[in-house]
Amino acid sequence: MRQRARFLRNTAVGGAALTLVLTLSACGGGGSDSAGGDDGRIHVLVYGDSANKVEKRIIATFNKTSEVKAVLDTIPGADYQAKLQTIINSEQAPDVFFNWGGGSIRPFVDAGLLMPLDDFIAKDPDLKDKFLPTVFESAEVDGKPYGIPMRGTQPVLLFHNKKVLKETGVEPPKTWDDMLAAVGKLKAKGVTPIALGGGDKWPTLMWFEYLYDRVAGPGLLQKALAGDKDVWASADSRKALGMIRELADAGAFGTHYDSVKFTDQGSPTLLATGKAGFELMGSWEYATQQESHPKFAERDLGHSAFPAVDGGKGDPADLVGNTNNFYSVLKKTKHPEAVAEFLKLQYSEESVKAQLAIGNVPTTTDTEKHLDAAADPDFARSQLKMVEKAPAFQLSWDQAYPQTATVGMHQAVQQFLNGGLDEDGFIKAMQALPTS
Amino acid sequence: MTTRSGTGVSRPGFVWAAPAAVFFGLFALLPLVLVVVLSFAEWNGLSSPRFSGLGNWQRLFDDPVMLKSLWLSVLLTVLGVVVQSPLSILLGVWAAGHQRNRAVLSAIYFVPLLLSAAAVSVLWRAVLDPNFGVPAHAEWLVGDGNLFGTQSSAIGVLAFVSAWQFTPLHTLIHQGAARAVPQVLYQAAQIDGAGKVRQFFHITLPQLRNSIITSMILMVVGGLTTFDTVLILTQGGPGTDTTISAYYMYQKAFKNFDYGTASAIGVLLVLVATVISLIVVRLSGYDRMRSTMEGL
Repeated sequence: MRQRARFLRNTAVGGAALTLVLTLSACGGGGSDSAGGDDGRIHVLVYGDSANKVEKRIIATFNKTSEVKAVLDTIPGADYQAKLQTIINSEQAPDVFFNWGGGSIRPFVDAGLLMPLDDFIAKDPDLKDKFLPTVFESAEVDGKPYGIPMRGTQPVLLFHNKKVLKETGVEPPKTWDDMLAAVGKLKAKGVTPIALGGGDKWPTLMWFEYLYDRVAGPGLLQKALAGDKDVWASADSRKALGMIRELADAGAFGTHYDSVKFTDQGSPTLLATGKAGFELMGSWEYATQQESHPKFAERDLGHSAFPAVDGGKGDPADLVGNTNNFYSVLKKTKHPEAVAEFLKLQYSEESVKAQLAIGNVPTTTDTEKHLDAAADPDFARSQLKMVEKAPAFQLSWDQAYPQTATVGMHQAVQQFLNGGLDEDGFIKAMQALPTS
Repeated sequence: MTTRSGTGVSRPGFVWAAPAAVFFGLFALLPLVLVVVLSFAEWNGLSSPRFSGLGNWQRLFDDPVMLKSLWLSVLLTVLGVVVQSPLSILLGVWAAGHQRNRAVLSAIYFVPLLLSAAAVSVLWRAVLDPNFGVPAHAEWLVGDGNLFGTQSSAIGVLAFVSAWQFTPLHTLIHQGAARAVPQVLYQAAQIDGAGKVRQFFHITLPQLRNSIITSMILMVVGGLTTFDTVLILTQGGPGTDTTISAYYMYQKAFKNFDYGTASAIGVLLVLVATVISLIVVRLSGYDRMRSTMEGL
């Protein structure tokens, strides 16, 4: 009995000591040999998805000639922003990372973590000149460039089911009146006029982004972002809200859009199966349909620009969406020269062609030359033309605003559309959003 | 002191508790202290935390969403207890018996317990899709299927999914307790001419008292810390209509990167949960641990 007790006691003490040792060594290990510390390589952190194969390839190309090697680290999509925020000021911070420009990097700039790219551009002007200016500018913060475009542009377009529209005798709408008429006809035929993944909330936001642009012009959001809260209560703002209400009241989105999501294939399937006529969505709708409904994507998936609004201040060629993805550089990188060389590869022919092949449309000035390499040259050409011609390309509001505004903004648009908030309530909610 | 000299068996020293104490200290107490400290600071995870006094607390008390989230947490917890308790007691008592097919049916019934809450939520999200799930074929039951689009139906879905997943756990607890009820009590009741229903209310239920309290405390704690089902099923929506406190804390921390306010919500949750648990323990007499075997 005694012996057993002593044995147990020894085990317990040993266990406690072991626990301590393990904990301490875990802490120690974190500092010395983890990913981002200086291990003589540059770490490139990207959003983990199917486009990673191109990034892997570019890094392989880079490593062939560079003395300082690069490594690709990925974080699965949904967690990207949260994880980035937690590691960016730690030992594990990458040297170069993927982002959406605008508000998505502003907090990092404000915290003094990012390197302005002026010096890189002074040494190699192509880093700026090889990209479309409207796109390049959306990663400028306080007039300084912080991002080099990578991957492709993702404008929001009005997609439609050609077959459904044809059967109903509806043309892709050119004006807002066309849109309302189309909604009436589709509804009369028993089809949900517009598929909307309201459960995700950001698809709802797209309608606000476009109507505000068409009615008030791109200036309204710029002013709002600069801290002018009065614009939300302006006559233009109220007019845009009235039009959204009119559309919803006409039954354009059906009745259960808040229970539908884009991210679980809900709304795209509605469009592909002919249960809905239109869907306003980023250009990734094409890739989504190609993967889950390849026949529909090939034959019946059409797209057009968002309709014009009579008497509105916005140019009908204006776009909203994700202008592009960007690579930004951390100030504390130990290998700025190697990073500059790596960034140059983003406008290389190899990179442009590889992106096109997986359906992305890079925004370099010579993308057009390589369009034949695209997965669908017609769709790529149409997108590129729209982006080149757009007088203004508004970055999605939830990316243009600081991250801290996202939840409030998403709740406001969802509640306005479903009637939980009235005009004044929505205006108040938007005015309450932080802009810096 | 008498025990030491009297029986010769010494009470275990502190060393025995050391491993658990170290774990508890490192992973529960230390973080708790840090969270309390953080609740008085502003921190976005990038720059160093900045002390802001009662700023976070002040804002929380003026925040209508915070108050609403507490009510929603309590509502969901109460719904959980009200729905799951009767179901699990009945099922547990039934499963404790010796009927035909009982073992097979019980085994099937325990399957939800084996699935993770995340998997269960993803599954139900798909089953309840208005266009491609059950609601598309059950208009008589759920109307247009906008289950995630109104507050009442979204709360209903959350309560239902939690019940679907956790009733088996509580059934298990009651089954064990019901098996332990001495048969002599039933035999005596039978001699006195009590029927099945009377036996249930006068013998089984009183005998299950301790297991009912145990399961209730589990339900209260589980209800107040529910998070995964809300994250996957409703994301706190529509609007803020299902934003319970635990989810609001997550939103503040990992969507708004406002770790100070999130910490304050965390502290508040700890306080509320502690108070509620104490009340339950007091009211139920759990702390006195009265035996159900007195007189036997």
